[in-house]
Amino acid sequence: MNDGPAITIRHVSKSFGDVLAVDDVSLDVPEGEFLTLLGPSGCGKTTTMRMIAGFEEPTDGSILLRGTDVVGIPPHKREVNMCFQHYALFPHMTVGENIAYGLKLKKVPKEERNRRADEMLALVGLSGYGSRKPSQLSGGQQQRIALARALVNRPAALLLDEPLGALDVKLRLQMRLELKRIQHELGTTFIFVTHDQEEALSMSDRIAVMHDGRIEQLGQPREVYEHPETPFVADFVGVLNALDMRIDVVEGSDAIMRVDERDRIVVPTAQTGVAAGATALVAVRPERVEVLRADEEPGDGDSRLRGTVAQVVYLGTLTQFHVDTILGKRLIAHRLSDDRAGEFAQGDEVTLTWAREDASILHTG
Amino acid sequence: MNMAASRSGKGALWIAFWLLAIFLYAPILILIIFSFNDREFVSFPWQGFTTRWYHEFLANETILRALKTSAWIAAIASAVTTGLAIPASIALSRRRFFGKGLVSGFLLAPLVVPLVCLGTAMLILFNYLGFPFGPITLIIGHVIIALPFAILTIVPRLDRIPVALEEAGRDLGGNWWTTFRTITFPLLAPAVLSAYLISYTISFDEIVLASFIAGSTTTFPVYVYSQLRLPTQLPQMPAVAAVVLVISVIVVSLAEIIRVRADRALDSLERVAGEEVATLLDTEG
Repeated sequence: MNDGPAITIRHVSKSFGDVLAVDDVSLDVPEGEFLTLLGPSGCGKTTTMRMIAGFEEPTDGSILLRGTDVVGIPPHKREVNMCFQHYALFPHMTVGENIAYGLKLKKVPKEERNRRADEMLALVGLSGYGSRKPSQLSGGQQQRIALARALVNRPAALLLDEPLGALDVKLRLQMRLELKRIQHELGTTFIFVTHDQEEALSMSDRIAVMHDGRIEQLGQPREVYEHPETPFVADFVGVLNALDMRIDVVEGSDAIMRVDERDRIVVPTAQTGVAAGATALVAVRPERVEVLRADEEPGDGDSRLRGTVAQVVYLGTLTQFHVDTILGKRLIAHRLSDDRAGEFAQGDEVTLTWAREDASILHTG
Repeated sequence: MNMAASRSGKGALWIAFWLLAIFLYAPILILIIFSFNDREFVSFPWQGFTTRWYHEFLANETILRALKTSAWIAAIASAVTTGLAIPASIALSRRRFFGKGLVSGFLLAPLVVPLVCLGTAMLILFNYLGFPFGPITLIIGHVIIALPFAILTIVPRLDRIPVALEEAGRDLGGNWWTTFRTITFPLLAPAVLSAYLISYTISFDEIVLASFIAGSTTTFPVYVYSQLRLPTQLPQMPAVAAVVLVISVIVVSLAEIIRVRADRALDSLERVAGEEVATLLDTEG
């Protein structure tokens, strides 16, 4: 053991013919972290993971597993294990044989093999299923067995390739908690690949948002969601309200953009050197946007913007308001479906408002 | 209008089916009937039931020797064929390489090359090389013509085994050979057995190449053909043919049953995945 990161990726690139799938990615994954690679299909997240597993070799750069460079080492000699998208359980073996497969190849004595396989079955809540065939299990159970089969080898890191994609919605929610529990119990480093932002936000210690083969942002779920650094991240993680605005004045740490004599938008400039006269892309999350009647006064110093309700979508817990603002841009507001939300209907004149710290400037130009 | 749905259309289809069935199977039926006909000539009228032709051929050393020759030549030819078809199928199904289309074409070409051409070509080649004609040349010939059938039996099965299973094997610590031995091969085995049995029957009743390149080796089909000119031997031939036919049908049916049952095992896995997707669509739709 060493105290360094479980996995280090240094300037790794991978091209398939003319296509650059992964473009100069660097990443440190500390021991015991739950790291998610999040992005749309084709963003390079799966290729990155397959390079860690050894199924693809990088065109450039190096990958270190607990400090040892593993580039060129075949998958069967790497101390990582993988959970495949469609589980990839061996259909001709029993559940017990599936789980013990890795141990058997490592020549672990039979008694220890069985004991560890039973432990794993207990961990995933399927004690007593050892003698069944994979085809006798439901999708969710197969998923757990795939997890047990990988974890029984005590890998330096577990790689999970969209493992919940084939499950139904309820089971998916349940498996999220289950995965998190197992990861916590074993303290194993998890690298989780998904295109589902909710999955990423709910389970990860850190998220690496990938786009066009690059990591666009790396940070804790809250950071990534609330303070996206690029328009892509803001758009991909959650629903984005983005406004292209001209900055009129910078007062202290606030950039102020006037819409007319009544409405204005206030955004903290943070560290970015934002100057008056520049244009800025301002982002605000739908759940931060409050909907008021046109005659109501928003709080002092809050952003305010008038508009007309174009559509009201009832989503159960939440109600979604699509509002055409006087800027000509449509904004979305998510409100709890309480009595207040019931007041508004299509065609109503409203004022949208949000606190200054709820908006951020994505980029200036 | 849907033809199968109308009454007269349905009737017409049945008539067409039975005509085709009679056309295909009547000669075989007649062969079996004649093998029990108590008459020196293989023709009507029916003169009574007898099993004497079966007794006679079982006592006929030459026929038995020819059957035995064909049996062991087919055993070796089909083993070699299957042995070559497995790596060829893996290359065609799993690997990407330059000229794959061409290689695949070359492997499957014997399907369409007239046997007479192949026989002539091999006759000239072996003659030129001074290689003695006999069982070895015949086995080489049979491997060439059976290989496409074996490959076409194995590749579809290999295509249905998810690559992820092999990757999982390697991920869990198996090198290429271990993974092949413990995962790919057990799942492929039914197709391999099918391929072996199909190659066996192809080699067993092959007559064209055998006439060209078997030298003095007399295989069963060659022997049967040569006997048709001798009236005294003729009545035994339907009996021999009937026995070979029954054995062939059993062997091929066995191969098919094994293949179908093994496919069902893979199906059941796919069905689970399919149900998940259906539930998913249900919930989201």
